[in-house]
Amino acid sequence: MTTFADSASTFIANRPDAATRRLAWSVFEATGLPTTTDEVWRYAPLGDLDLGHFEVPSAPSDPPDSDFAAQLCQRAGLVVRVVDGFCVSTGDVVEGVNVEVDESSESLAGETLVRRYEGDTFALLNVALAPGATVIRVAAGVNVREPVVVLNESTAGASFPRTQIVVGRGASVTVVEYFEGGRDALVVPVSEYRLDDNASLQLITYQRLDSTAWHVARTTGFLSRDARLHQAIVGLGAHYDRARNDAEMLGAGAANELRTTFLGSGNQVHDFRTRQYHVAPRTTSTLLSKGAVADHSRSVYTGLIEIEKGAKRTDARQTNHNLLLSPNAHADSVPNLDIRENDVMCAHASSVGPLDELQRWYLESRGVSRHDAQRLLIQGFFYEMLSALPSELAELVESDVASVLSSVAEVIS
Amino acid sequence: MTSTLKIEGLRVEVAGKEVLKGLSLTMHSGEVHAIMGPNGSGKSTLAHALTGHPGYRVLEGSVTIDGVELLTMSPTDRAREGLMLVLQQPFEIPGVRSFDLLEAAGADPTTLRARMLDEARRIELPPELLDRFVNVDLSGGERKRAEMVQLGVLRPKFALLDEIDSGLDVDALDAVAQRLVAATTEWNCGVLAITHFRRLLLELTPTMIHVMSGGRVVATGGPELAVTLERDGYETFRDASN
Repeated sequence: MTTFADSASTFIANRPDAATRRLAWSVFEATGLPTTTDEVWRYAPLGDLDLGHFEVPSAPSDPPDSDFAAQLCQRAGLVVRVVDGFCVSTGDVVEGVNVEVDESSESLAGETLVRRYEGDTFALLNVALAPGATVIRVAAGVNVREPVVVLNESTAGASFPRTQIVVGRGASVTVVEYFEGGRDALVVPVSEYRLDDNASLQLITYQRLDSTAWHVARTTGFLSRDARLHQAIVGLGAHYDRARNDAEMLGAGAANELRTTFLGSGNQVHDFRTRQYHVAPRTTSTLLSKGAVADHSRSVYTGLIEIEKGAKRTDARQTNHNLLLSPNAHADSVPNLDIRENDVMCAHASSVGPLDELQRWYLESRGVSRHDAQRLLIQGFFYEMLSALPSELAELVESDVASVLSSVAEVIS
Repeated sequence: MTSTLKIEGLRVEVAGKEVLKGLSLTMHSGEVHAIMGPNGSGKSTLAHALTGHPGYRVLEGSVTIDGVELLTMSPTDRAREGLMLVLQQPFEIPGVRSFDLLEAAGADPTTLRARMLDEARRIELPPELLDRFVNVDLSGGERKRAEMVQLGVLRPKFALLDEIDSGLDVDALDAVAQRLVAATTEWNCGVLAITHFRRLLLELTPTMIHVMSGGRVVATGGPELAVTLERDGYETFRDASN
């Protein structure tokens, strides 16, 4: 046995709903970790992943907040704190918002989590090993004015945060899921978002984990009639950063906008997968992915637009632009379409290339240093991503991203 | 203080072909000189080689400001020595604002906004255009005016104009020319205007005209040279270079 299996076994034995957890664990054991011969894991440095040495904590530790986390919380109307996957604080009372921990192992899709994620090894580990789901419910018709921040902090070991957000009919809310810490850790979040008719969720997922962390995340949005899910995902941290982001447009007129932004340096791998699943008519998905890779880092973007028969007048768009900041960096872009309805609009575009040499020269010919010219051009490349953030958070996130960009621009100068 | 820009025996290669074949020229701050020549004579190559454009390779020669060699310097350092190229087609830089460009170029951020507004007013550039990304969604005329805002803020010792008159309407041309003339007295800016039209020169009134042909300066003279060129064309000078 390993540290991981031992600690997982102890953890499961001491939690409610141990039977479901054991079921998920047994499916995990039967399938094992994926390998790079599996197409969807082709680019993951799985050979470096020593799952056995991660310990599953039986209780949360008590890490200090970073300066950024503290500033983020100042801008929040409600702060939910999750440490090592354990919800340690549900925050203040905000009218119309209910936060609680649910250990029932049910998916917001209306089936069990085991069934929902049976084909996904890492998500199954979350089903077995998450201390519970932090569930945020916004009551029908409530417009939550200030952002809700879910502060996910990870210390060492393996942690399995699970978040479920339910936005009632006609309600609207902005939620930030923030991840930090995670030195030499494995962080496997599973998040689900259910938007009832005409609900609106603006979601920012900001991943700032330590550069040694393994981050394997999965999110799914379930959208009812005329619901709007606007997602911004920013991935800066982790050694291996994988995020699978799905949205299911189940009600007519549902709309998903997804913007993924990533910046790779060192030996990082950013591995983004998306699936926009159009079931109902007149649904839209707009996906824009922009990433830059420096040093020996690499990125993969694989996006699937799937349109069911009957999802008439669906409008689905996918755009992916990649900036190569070093000759040793690499970016792959793989758009896929699976369309079973004729009356649809679909488009995809992608590009991979270095910084424009002539734009850089133009800036330099004004007396801008090489470093600043590159920093400005990279910032310019990302501008449209960050400008879409809600105004009360844009400045804070922009300046934090800018500090990382600046250090990358320094390295490539 | 008077500065001197000195180009000596400059030979430059573009895409494996020698375009400048030993060009020499000297000018001082506060002066306006014009370089005229037919298409293909190497005018734009001169502008780009002086500012270190990546596509141009210097084979031989020297370019100095007050004795300081520029050709061994990065484009950034050449600009900081006081050389600024005003481009025929300034580049669009999406996502980057002029303010950030100028701050990174060394302008004092505490006074920068006021100076930009002042320069925009002088060149009749609507001030709201200053908040657009550098040269993005600007007309040809607005771009040249925006370049003048940069010039007014950065105050180079020598401004090099690369055919800025092409595609410019008369009003914009006059405004740009007037701003440059004012610069020659305001901070003693030297202006080297590359053109093959005389229109710009009517406003700029250069004291010296250099005629380029075949990668060299083949004739240098006073303003009367522009009149000769207008009347007789470049043919006589082309012969002189052979």
